[in-house]
Amino acid sequence: MTRLFPRWSAQELVVVGVFAAASKVSTLLIALAGGGMNPVSLMGKNLVFTTLLVVMLCKVRRPGTLFLFTVINIIVSMLLLGASVTLIPPMLMAALVAEAAIWPRRHASGAANALIGAAVFDFVSKALSLGVSWLFMRENPALMVMVVPFVVIGYFGSLGGLFSGVRAVRELRHAGIIRE
Amino acid sequence: MRASFVNREWTGKAGQGSADTGNVVGLDVRSRMFVTLLASVVTVIISSFEGQAVLFVASLIYALSVRRFRALAAAYAVMAIMMLVAALCSWGISRAVPSMPFSPESLAVPFMRGAVMLNVVLPLALTCRVQALLTALKGLRLPFCIYLPGAVMIRFIPTFMNDVKQVAETLKIRGCRLGPGEMFRHPLMMLRLLFTPLLFRSLRTSEELGIAAELKGLEAGGKFVPFRVSSWTARDTQLVVLAIVVAVSAFACHLMWGDASSMSAMR
Repeated sequence: MTRLFPRWSAQELVVVGVFAAASKVSTLLIALAGGGMNPVSLMGKNLVFTTLLVVMLCKVRRPGTLFLFTVINIIVSMLLLGASVTLIPPMLMAALVAEAAIWPRRHASGAANALIGAAVFDFVSKALSLGVSWLFMRENPALMVMVVPFVVIGYFGSLGGLFSGVRAVRELRHAGIIRE
Repeated sequence: MRASFVNREWTGKAGQGSADTGNVVGLDVRSRMFVTLLASVVTVIISSFEGQAVLFVASLIYALSVRRFRALAAAYAVMAIMMLVAALCSWGISRAVPSMPFSPESLAVPFMRGAVMLNVVLPLALTCRVQALLTALKGLRLPFCIYLPGAVMIRFIPTFMNDVKQVAETLKIRGCRLGPGEMFRHPLMMLRLLFTPLLFRSLRTSEELGIAAELKGLEAGGKFVPFRVSSWTARDTQLVVLAIVVAVSAFACHLMWGDASSMSAMR
């Protein structure tokens, strides 16, 4: 298998790209199918995103994969979808904190490490995204009161995604698609 | 093999109109990316109505230049509904919490930020084909470990959309109704029925594409020959310069008249 820089093979990089696309499209479709900002679709899209993240981290077991996934997402979102530059620091910070959290157990097998990484990433990114929301709506703080419940509901979806992620990994391992 | 075939079919159908529009406008993807990036930075920094108004007018002209009026109208209709919901929530909060008064003026700037971003993203989305995006991504000279997943991401999106359509059609054949109503009634069941096959397909596609990438010898430091060479013309330079002029003008308006309007909105 070809090695790229110190870490990822071409195959692993392709997996990261495919999962970045899958997470982007599926969350967008759920949001559209749910008709915008309703709690069910909000929880659903966070659930799907976290599930995909856990599966990807189990499929590509390299330190830095979560960070790479975040960078790819940011670049594509920023250049093609017009996502704000202000989203970069919180997302990168969340990815770095998550990488630091999984670093001590980087050689461990099983889904626990991926689970910890996804959980930390979700929590830190949601917390920091509230700060970005304030930056956008600083002219009218009342809008922030509306944003906070949505972020909390989304976080509950992410928590659900951790459980569904573990179940998905178990099934995929049983099917031989994810190998240790 | 399947993925590449599907993509060609998809871009052939969906990208036909886009290509025509792209020829009319005749701009490089990188210049449009620059406009999107600049707008996303400037619109956050400027907090006055005057500055945002400059950005909004300029970005609207940019969006109208693509001549996809129906798509623009549909996007504005969706955004108007979302803004109405947000305004109603804000009004409700102001009734419950008197310390947070409701004023349409203070809502104008956050809403205009959204409108500016819509105006700059739509031309990019409506006029670019997948191949043009890949060429532009290559032109940015990103490291291989970022370029390859980025390219795969852009290339895989149409395939994934096609997979979603196929899975949805399969569910319809089996008698499942798909729609917002069902999403509300049985959210977990719908997620399970739709998401599990898509996850399996994504993993299979990623394995196939990964093997194909290795067999084609894709690696860091490898030399790639782009399918089409991107061409940066004088019109692209003009667009970039114009975008910078608009950004500077918006800043000037913000500095000259912004403070007064911000204070009155706060009141």
